[in-house]
Amino acid sequence: MTSTAPQLGKNRRKKRGSVLGNTGLYLAVGIAALLFLLPFYLIVRNALSTDQEITGENWKLLPSFQWGNISELFDDQTVQFGRSLWNSTVVAVLMTVGTLLVCSLAGYGLARIPYKHSNKVFYLVLATLMVPTAVTFVPSFVLVSSLGWVDTYRGLIIPGLFSGFTCFLFRQYFLGFPKELEEAARVDGLGYWGAYWRIVVPNSLNFFAAIATITFISGWNAFLWPLVIGQDPNSWTVQIALSSFMTNQTVNFHLIFMATAVSILPLVFVFLFLQRWLVQGIAQTGIKG
Amino acid sequence: MSTTTTRGVAQTAAAETSKSRPRRGLRSNATLNFWLFTGPFLIGLVIFVFVPIGWSIWLSFFDARYTVTPSHFIGLDNYKQILTNSNFPDSLLTFTVFAVFIVPTTWALSLGLALLVNQLRFMRAFFRSVFFLPTAVSYVAAALIWKMSIFSGVRFGLMNTVLGWFGVDNIAYLANPSPPWYWLVIVSLRLWIQAGFYMILFLAALQNIPAELYEAAEIDGAKRGWQTFRYITLPQLRATSTAVVLLLLVAAYQAFDEFFNIISTKATWAQTPLMELYKAALGTNQDYGAGSAGAVILSLLICIVTLAQGRIMGFGRGEESK
Amino acid sequence: MSAMSNSNLSRRSIFRAAAGMAAAGTLAACGGNNGRGGSGGSGKQLVQYFHAYGEAGTEQAIKRYAKAYTKANVTTNWITGNNFEAKLFSSLLTKQAPDVFEFHPQLQLVKSGQVADLSDIIDPVKDDFNPADIKSHTVDGKIYGIRMIDDPQFFYYRKSMLEKAKVEVPTTLDELLEAAAKLTTSKVKGAFLGNDFTPVQNPIIWSAGADTIDANNQIAYHTDGVVEGLKKLRQLFTSGHVLLDAPTDFWDPSSLNQGLCAIQWGGMWSMPAMQQALGDDLGIFPFPSVGSAGKQSVYNGGWSMFVNAKGDNVEAAKAYVKWLWIDQKKYQEDWATSYGFHIPPRTSIAAGATKLKSGLPAEGVKLFTDYGHFDNIAYDQTMQTAFADVIANSVRKNGNPEAALDACDKKVNVELKKLFG
Repeated sequence: MTSTAPQLGKNRRKKRGSVLGNTGLYLAVGIAALLFLLPFYLIVRNALSTDQEITGENWKLLPSFQWGNISELFDDQTVQFGRSLWNSTVVAVLMTVGTLLVCSLAGYGLARIPYKHSNKVFYLVLATLMVPTAVTFVPSFVLVSSLGWVDTYRGLIIPGLFSGFTCFLFRQYFLGFPKELEEAARVDGLGYWGAYWRIVVPNSLNFFAAIATITFISGWNAFLWPLVIGQDPNSWTVQIALSSFMTNQTVNFHLIFMATAVSILPLVFVFLFLQRWLVQGIAQTGIKG
Repeated sequence: MSTTTTRGVAQTAAAETSKSRPRRGLRSNATLNFWLFTGPFLIGLVIFVFVPIGWSIWLSFFDARYTVTPSHFIGLDNYKQILTNSNFPDSLLTFTVFAVFIVPTTWALSLGLALLVNQLRFMRAFFRSVFFLPTAVSYVAAALIWKMSIFSGVRFGLMNTVLGWFGVDNIAYLANPSPPWYWLVIVSLRLWIQAGFYMILFLAALQNIPAELYEAAEIDGAKRGWQTFRYITLPQLRATSTAVVLLLLVAAYQAFDEFFNIISTKATWAQTPLMELYKAALGTNQDYGAGSAGAVILSLLICIVTLAQGRIMGFGRGEESK
Repeated sequence: MSAMSNSNLSRRSIFRAAAGMAAAGTLAACGGNNGRGGSGGSGKQLVQYFHAYGEAGTEQAIKRYAKAYTKANVTTNWITGNNFEAKLFSSLLTKQAPDVFEFHPQLQLVKSGQVADLSDIIDPVKDDFNPADIKSHTVDGKIYGIRMIDDPQFFYYRKSMLEKAKVEVPTTLDELLEAAAKLTTSKVKGAFLGNDFTPVQNPIIWSAGADTIDANNQIAYHTDGVVEGLKKLRQLFTSGHVLLDAPTDFWDPSSLNQGLCAIQWGGMWSMPAMQQALGDDLGIFPFPSVGSAGKQSVYNGGWSMFVNAKGDNVEAAKAYVKWLWIDQKKYQEDWATSYGFHIPPRTSIAAGATKLKSGLPAEGVKLFTDYGHFDNIAYDQTMQTAFADVIANSVRKNGNPEAALDACDKKVNVELKKLFG
C-alpha cells in the first residue's frame, strides 16, 4: 500500500498466473463436485427406472423416466408414505422450534446472567455431551412409554428437545455477543427477558437459522428413536417408512429409490433456501474456537 | 421483576445507598432470571437425560435380562461379562481403527475443499452448495445407495460395472472381509456426508484470517501457495482444526447407523461399540445389565478423551475471562 | 409441505406455515393418538405383533382374521424385517406391550416369565400337532407357544442350468463345491448361501452328524465333522463360485429368479414366487452331507404365537389365540398355503392342504419330514449369535475353525450355566 506501482505489478502478476491457475482450480473443484453429485444422480436414475433397467446387465446412463413410480409410491398400501412425510414435517418443524426456544434461553442464561453456581450448572450440561444418546436408549424409551407417549407427536418430539450440544453452542455464541448492545437495552429499562427478546434474538437471526437447519436435519433424519416410538404405521416418520421399504421381504428397487429421492427432496429445498444464513450462522457457532 | 425495579427507583434518593441497593436487587433479580432462562431446559434435561443415565448405571449392577426393573443385585458381574466374555473390547479396537481412518481424511478433505472453494470467484455459492448438500442425506438413505447401488457385489453395481469395463471380476465389497474393502465403503460414505459440514467451518475460519498477514508475508518474500499455507493459513486454523478433530472423534465413537445398515451385526469385524451394545441389549440378547455396563464404560472413555482434549485446547472454558 | 410447494417462497410464508403447523401439531398431539384407541365396540382391546411377511396379501389376511373375532378388538402391528426384534422387545418392557406376539421358542422368554403357559388350551388338541413342534415349545411339561407355521429351508436350483453344465444334484458338500464351480459363468454364480452364510449355520452342524446342544444341554456342535464342514464352507466362500453381496438376502427369491445364481438357499415360503417366475425349471435338495458320518439336513424353522404373561389381558389374549390358532382351521390353512408356502403344524390341516399334495410343494414336505431338524428351545439367541461369530471368523475370515469354536464354547457355556445352573 506504500505506492501504487507495486500494487499494479502485483495485480498483473496475479492475473497472469490466474488463467492457468483458474483452469486447474475449476477442474479440481469440478471433478470433486461431480463425485459429490454422483450419489444424487444414482438416486434419481434408479428412482425413475424400472426394476429390469436397474438390475439389467448393461448400465443405462439415463433412465426411461417412469414418472408413474411416484404415484406408485404414494399409492402403496402397506407403507403410507404421504402420511410419513407429513409426520416427519411436523416432527422436524416442532422439534426445531422447541429446541431453539428451550436451548437458546438456557444458553443465554448460562452465558450472560451472573449467578454464582452457573459454572456448576454448565458442567452438568457439558457432562451430558459425553454420553451417547443410544446408551440411555432403553431407559428413555421405558420412561417415555410410561408417560403414555408411544405413537404420539409428544413422544417423538419432546425427549429430543433437550440437547446439551445445542445449549452448549448457544452459550458459546452468546458469550461472543457484543455486551454493549444489551447494556444499552438495560439502561432503557428492559430486564433480561426484554433485552433478550428485543435486542439479542433479532440480532442473532443468522445463528438461529444455522442451528435451526442443523436441528431440522437431525429431526428429519432420526432413525432409532422414531423406530421404537412409532409403533403404529400412522405415526411412522419418513426414515422408518424408508427402512421398511428396504427390509420388506420383497425388494422393489424402483420404489426404494423413489422413496429415498422423495425423502431427501424437502431437505434439499430447505438447504438451498436457508444456505445464505446457514453459512454465516455456522461461522458464528463458536466452534471456531 | 418489575417490583424490584420500581422499589429500586423509589429509593434512589441518597447517592451512597443507591449504588449498593439496586445492585443487590439486580443480583437476586439475576438469580431469578437465571432459573427462568435455564429452568425449562434443565427440567427437561433431568427428566429425559439424567434419569435415563442414572437408570442405566443402576441397571449395570443387576441381573437384568428381559426386564428393566430387576431385583437381583450382582455387583460387578456385568462389567466382568462385557469386558472378558464379549466382543465389546474388540469393538473399541475397531473404533480406534475407524477413527484413525476417518478423522485425518475428513479433516484433510474438508480443509482441501474449503481452500478450493475459498479461491473461487465465480459460482462459489454453487460449489459450496454442492459439497454441503450431502449433509442433508440421512445415514439410512446413504447406506442404501452405497450398499445397493454403488458397492453392490453383483454385476449391476456401479463400481463393479466400471471395473467390468476393464475386465476385472465382480468384487464382493462387503461379504468378504479380506481384503477389507468394507472400510472403503464405510469411509467413503462418511466422508461424503460429513465433509461438507466441516468445510463450512473451515471456510468461515479462512475468511476470518486477516488479509494483511498474507500481504506482509508476500513482502517478506514468501511464495503464495505451500509456504503461505504452511506458515500462515495452517497456524491460523489451529483452533478450528482442533475443534473439528474433537467433533469428528466423538462422532466416530458414536458411529452406528451406517455400520448397522451396511456391515450388519452378523459379522465379527467393523462392529462399533454402539453396535455391540445394541446386540447385548436391544438386539437378540435382551441383557440390559451387560448392555448398560458397556454403556457406562463407553461413556467414561468418551469423558476421558474429551477432558484430555479439552485440557489441550481449552474447549468450553476460558471465554469467561474475556 | 404446503409451504414448500408454494411457488412464492418468501421467508414470511415459511414462518407462517411453521406457526400454523406448530398449532396443528399441538392439537394433534393433544388428541392422544396412541394407535390402540378407535371404536372399541366389544370391550377388550388386544394388540398383536407380527413381523412383515414378504408375500403379497399376508398383512391383509392377518387383519382379516383379527376382524372376524368378536370377543375383542384386535389391533395388528405389522413390523418390517430387521426392526422386528428391537421393536418387539423394547415394547415388551412397557405398558404398551403387545398382548399377543409371534416369535421363535426361546427358553429365556419362559424363564423370565415373559410368555404365558398355554398348556390348557393346547392340551385338548395336542395329538393333532407335529410332536416335534410340541416338544420345541415345552419346558418342564408346560407348553408356552402355539406353532402357526413350519418353514423348512433347503436349496433351490435351476434344472436347466444343471443340465447344461452336466451337473448332478449334489448330495455331499464336496459335490456342492464342484457343482458351484461348473455352474459359474461370467454372468451367473454357481450358488448363493445368503450374503453372510449364517442361514446355513445350523444345517452345517446337522449335516456333519452333530447337533447344536444335546439332550443334557451340553455343547454338541464341537466335533471334527463340523470343523471339516467349516473348512469346506471357507473353500466355497473364497472359490469365486458363490454369489456375494447380492441386493437381497436368502429369504428373497430374487437372486435365483433374476438369474444371478444357479443354486440358492431359501425357505419354502419362496416357492410360489419362484414357480411363478421359473415355471418347471426349479428343483430342491437338502443341505448336503459333510464327511463320512454326515447326513443331509433341512432346517425346520417357523413362527409361533405367544401370549405376553406380563400384559393386562392375559386371559382375553389366550382366548383370542385359542380361537384363531386352535379353533379356526380354515384361517390356519389359508395362512399356511394361500400366500407363501408353509407347512401346517397340525396333521389334520396338513392332510387337507391340497396345494402341498403334489409337485414341488410335496417334495418340500418330504424333505421336511425326512431330513428336518427343529428348533431346540434351549439353544437361544445368545448361543446362535455366538455361532454366527464362528461363521464370520472361520468362513468369511480366514480364522482357524477350532479356535473360533473354542471362543464360541466359552460364550455358550456361560449362557448354559445361566440357564441351567
